[in-house]
Amino acid sequence: MSGRWPGRNRVAVAGYAQSDICRQFDRPLGAVAVDTARRAIADAGLRVDEVDGFVASSLLPSAGGHAVVDGISTVSPHWLAQHLGANPRYAAGFQGYGQLPGSVAMAVHAITSGAADHVLVHRALHNPAGSYHGNTMAEAKGQQQWTMPQGFFGPLAMIGLAANEYLQRYGATREALAAVVVEARKNGARVPWSFWRDRPLTVDEYLAAPLVSDPVGRFDCDIPVDGVAAFVLTSAERARDLPHPPVYIAGLASGQPTRARLPLHWPLDDIVEVGQETARRLWAGAGLGPADVDLPQLYDGFSPFVWMWLEVLGFCPVGEAHRFVLDGGIDSDDPEALPVLSGGGALGNGRMHGVPQMLECYLQLSGRAGPRQRPDIHAGLACHSSPHYGGAVLYTGEPT
Amino acid sequence: MTAARPVPVPDERSAPYWDLAARGILALARCGRCGRFAHPPDVVCPHCHHTDPGFTFEPVSGRGAVRSWTVVRQSFLPGFDVPFVLVDVALDLEEDDDVRLIGRLVDGPDAPLRSGAEVEVTFEQLDDRVAVPAFTLADRTRSVHSERRFPRQSEHTERLAPVDEP
Repeated sequence: MSGRWPGRNRVAVAGYAQSDICRQFDRPLGAVAVDTARRAIADAGLRVDEVDGFVASSLLPSAGGHAVVDGISTVSPHWLAQHLGANPRYAAGFQGYGQLPGSVAMAVHAITSGAADHVLVHRALHNPAGSYHGNTMAEAKGQQQWTMPQGFFGPLAMIGLAANEYLQRYGATREALAAVVVEARKNGARVPWSFWRDRPLTVDEYLAAPLVSDPVGRFDCDIPVDGVAAFVLTSAERARDLPHPPVYIAGLASGQPTRARLPLHWPLDDIVEVGQETARRLWAGAGLGPADVDLPQLYDGFSPFVWMWLEVLGFCPVGEAHRFVLDGGIDSDDPEALPVLSGGGALGNGRMHGVPQMLECYLQLSGRAGPRQRPDIHAGLACHSSPHYGGAVLYTGEPT
Repeated sequence: MTAARPVPVPDERSAPYWDLAARGILALARCGRCGRFAHPPDVVCPHCHHTDPGFTFEPVSGRGAVRSWTVVRQSFLPGFDVPFVLVDVALDLEEDDDVRLIGRLVDGPDAPLRSGAEVEVTFEQLDDRVAVPAFTLADRTRSVHSERRFPRQSEHTERLAPVDEP
């Protein structure tokens, strides 16, 4: 594929809603999702009966074998549409990694094809009672027989191996992880709905916390939460007649490694090579480059991902992101730095799976960030998941 | 009492692998179509994408180089005492098939590790019929084996003698 992405500038975000983010809601997840969806639709100046498309991923990202119950531990787009009393022409779930960019892409395709006029994209995350990833499985079947009996299980060991590969190869330190986490928590502390609001973290507190899977420690991992966010997407033409300034979708890309690996084996070279290919497609399709983006919101569900996204997107050379973050390169309070976690990210909000990145792009580009509003923001980038499995969406305040 | 570790459940593609592992032999699946090693053996060959790969299992040296490692300090599975070390090992093969195995380093969390460290396969007995590949630092292999330093993960492990090495 070459040339510009034909979908660019044709779809815009017209409204949003974000629930409070907490460890556990005192109401069912589905009830909060319906309330949040209603608020998003109203925010976009629409009625429920005008929303004719619903797209979401309903993955519960836990290795703990928790029961998946629609409306309780997950909320599918079909469940949400039905419980809102909507009768959509298009309802579809996204499967795969990079759940939020993947859902946005499906919404864009539905709108540009005419399958739907107004699409609600939502994400509802749940923190089940008990251990999030702990699993009492006695037998390892299928793909899991190759890793579970050996003790390799769950995303902590996955990111531990990838992060240590980076540390060993480039001489990075835990202080350079702390720089990511402290920056995320600084910004998250300023976000009214964040689980971590008013609770920044110091480097000393970071270093004093227990290691979980070396070199990854407790605060390198986003905390599991209950939370719901919803966005209304529509055509750029229709969005201009709605109450809020449209935020245009200027580009999107996602990736998928071709090399088969053991389950959750994410070697650094796979992450970087496939991530660079995704970035190349993103920039080529949008006709923009890293220098055009003033609000790159990088995914930080595990802190080392921020280094990796910085490198694959071309914000700094491969192997140098750890120095870049230590040198203040991502300080959102420095006008000369790259504010890659200005929305707080996952580490500063809770495990909202790409929502903080997309929401920060939307709020800043529509001028709706309130006291956190940054001046002169023109283009934002919302990343989600690992660079080699995930995706990114480029947003602009004006058509490019 | 510590719960038992999860045991692998062999299926039609993996049964030879586990049969040989129980005898202390690391064997990899070789595609009958393109001749390359494929681990794990999938329904389609990962290299030539043939849907009837006709895998045969071939013993390999079990030696390799550590690409990365992590010390697991919070286990999410039964039967694993923390801390323990996982190593990501690129197996030494004549062919450049980039076969990686991830397993425990039985030498423990204080073993001197570095990228590129040479390791060789060893086996952890889960019960009298199941052995799971793990690794040990190559230059310490002899002393580790003579001391029978198999990890004490379960009552099963402690009750049973280690298998003979290949």
